[in-house]
Amino acid sequence: MTTTPPPAATAAAPSPSAVQTRTLQPVGAPAPAPAGSPAPGAQPAPSGLRGRLESVTASVRAAMAGTPGRLRAVAIVSVAATLLFGLAAGQAFRSADGALERAAANADQLVRIQAIQTNVVQADADATNAFLVGGLEPADQRTDYTEAIATASGLIAQAAQHQPADGAALSALNQSLVTYTSQVEQARANNRQALPIGSQYLRSASADLRADALPLLANLGAANDARVTEEFDRAARASWWLVVAGLLALGVLVLSLVWLARRTRRYVNVPLAVAALVVLVTTVVGTVGLLAVKGNVDTTRDGVYAATLATAQARIAGFDAKSNESLTLIARGSGASFEKAWQASSDAVRAQISGLQGTAPGLTPLPWEGYATAHENIRTLDDGGDWEGAVALATGQDPKSGNVTFAAFDTSSGDQLSALSGQTAQQLDDTGGWLAFAGVLGVLAGVIAALCAWWGVSLRLEEYR
Amino acid sequence: MSQRPRRLLAILVVVGASLGFGACTTAGAYDPTPLFTPSAAASPSPRATTAPSPAPSGTDVATTNCLKSYAPLATMPAPGGPMPARSTMETIKKRGRLIAGVSADTLLLGARNPVSGQIEGFDIDMLRGVSQAIFGDPDKVELKVITAAQRLPSLEDGSVDIVARNMTITCARWKEIAFSSEYYRSGQKVLVRLGETTDSGAPIKDIEDLAGKKVCAPNGSTSMEKLRTFTDIQAVGADTHTGCLVLFQQGAVDAITGDDTVLAGLAAQDPYADVVKAPAFTAEPYGLGVNQKNVDFVQFVNGVLDDMRADGRWTKSYNTWLADSLGKAPAPPTPVYGRTS
Repeated sequence: MTTTPPPAATAAAPSPSAVQTRTLQPVGAPAPAPAGSPAPGAQPAPSGLRGRLESVTASVRAAMAGTPGRLRAVAIVSVAATLLFGLAAGQAFRSADGALERAAANADQLVRIQAIQTNVVQADADATNAFLVGGLEPADQRTDYTEAIATASGLIAQAAQHQPADGAALSALNQSLVTYTSQVEQARANNRQALPIGSQYLRSASADLRADALPLLANLGAANDARVTEEFDRAARASWWLVVAGLLALGVLVLSLVWLARRTRRYVNVPLAVAALVVLVTTVVGTVGLLAVKGNVDTTRDGVYAATLATAQARIAGFDAKSNESLTLIARGSGASFEKAWQASSDAVRAQISGLQGTAPGLTPLPWEGYATAHENIRTLDDGGDWEGAVALATGQDPKSGNVTFAAFDTSSGDQLSALSGQTAQQLDDTGGWLAFAGVLGVLAGVIAALCAWWGVSLRLEEYR
Repeated sequence: MSQRPRRLLAILVVVGASLGFGACTTAGAYDPTPLFTPSAAASPSPRATTAPSPAPSGTDVATTNCLKSYAPLATMPAPGGPMPARSTMETIKKRGRLIAGVSADTLLLGARNPVSGQIEGFDIDMLRGVSQAIFGDPDKVELKVITAAQRLPSLEDGSVDIVARNMTITCARWKEIAFSSEYYRSGQKVLVRLGETTDSGAPIKDIEDLAGKKVCAPNGSTSMEKLRTFTDIQAVGADTHTGCLVLFQQGAVDAITGDDTVLAGLAAQDPYADVVKAPAFTAEPYGLGVNQKNVDFVQFVNGVLDDMRADGRWTKSYNTWLADSLGKAPAPPTPVYGRTS
């Protein structure tokens, strides 16, 4: 390229500063400069802005005059089109790559939010269950509660760090959690002294948690799910950059080829054709690659990602049901509304479990029915007047007790959730790994095509020297 | 390469780049997550509610002439023996247990002992007496915990046989349910923070001194009805008296009003709560509530209460639960009979 002779048609090429002046003129020249030499084709006047400008205009006009001028125009348009194509290709891959990265980050955040929610409802289930057995809480249940609260408040801080848009909601959630734990502590302190006000504090804590914290968590979950969807869509849309820019560049190059063939009696300008080929191959290969990404994204979205969400929802509904079972028993005869809430939660668990089937390979159905049966037995005892028996069945260590059967659900759903969220992250990572490199290749392809186009046209231009 | 096109190229590259990359500067910046939208919680909330309906105007809440109950059965069936055919007692006996609506958080009257898990108190002892008379066993009682506001509905829909939950006999309630004879005479008082004063700094001597302050009472109770006749006091409702105590401890209300027995139970849980020494400003005769249709059961229960007054079980129970707070047992209230329909 550096060997290409300058296509100068005028005696003097305009100085770099002259070109710059022309470009900047609308901004840089508010008032007419003192008169310079107005004659077209004259040497640029050393002091007059207008003079210099007019000389530039004149030399550009001269450069574009006649066939050599048109050739130059073709060269500039082809180079511009191919360079723009290169940038668009780079942008397509970069956009897909960025979108996938953000989708993964948002999916992580969603898993974090759901972990907060799970820990909060688990803590509540522990606290309410412990109250059933009186002021002397079982030590392991107390430990469970403390761990769940510690995990939840740690995760709230982490989540705020990862997504600034969640900041306000997370700080409100944090306040609500602080209120909840202080009420539970007050409930404990009173319960330890065998004062009936203890269970009132517990009921109040539990009701406030459901009225304040759970709606916030629902908002956080919905917002992050929407963000994941947005980024998945963006990644799927990325190929449009490539297709549109590729077709435009191809159109420009083909028109140039046709024009050159007519003007120069050569059928094919080989370098220009190579440029067109580079654009075509990059577009086709890149589009196929990006469509494959879209396919993988869709598979992940409908597969392990959907399964992750469903498992987390099942866990949340499950713990909520467990709390409501305890609250029904604590209310002792007037817990009909808690039992209704249990039914709603249990239906939610069942819906998520049946929705999970076939979403991801190797999933075994979560063992909810064992606990559901235990719950039915607890209700039968309580409704039949045997409250003590119902409490014993709910809190005991019998293999058919509420606590033991629920622990089975807790363990297997927890294992499944961590496996699935790991798989989601892995799949998104695998899908987008090559995109950053492809972005560089895309820009490079544009540059190569531009060089070829320039070279192709300047071969013809030389014939006019 | 010539100077000019190279410059043009440079410009195109800059323009193209700014267009291309400008398009994605918004990616990754999201709208803030919305804060919570208050929802009708699925679970019932024991939060404070301001009293919904206007204050009652009549004197129906005063109770003096509605104490008349149905006369006890002429001959009481033997405890544990066969009950009269087709009677309410027979139905209960066949079921195998008496279903009673009680409080589990009114210390002294009906409260769950967190250590034993049992609900116990003066009200509960009355039920044990009824159970003893039907089954020959004081423990054949299923205790259903209900709120103050659930007392009448749960009797009317038949979900409980009897309510023993510090319920005042009133003329208004007689229109919906039936009462046993009076088994305890209580009266309404107020509970304030230790050392609470009026706005002008005078000590609190009476409920009138609480003008301008927030006072809590359970929704659907006679205490609440009476409270709302004091128009310059802000009435605050809760589900139960213990709910009021939570609000009181949280500083959401300044005082609690209720029957002296209930307030004694609350004061026992909080050394900074003080029951104002003034005499009660209402009379609250307690009766056991029964469905209006089960007149035979009311007569039976009245027979049981007569027996308990006569054989000292009433006094013994009073001394167990109430003597520490209210002094030695007085003579039991004299039953008034003569209601015919």
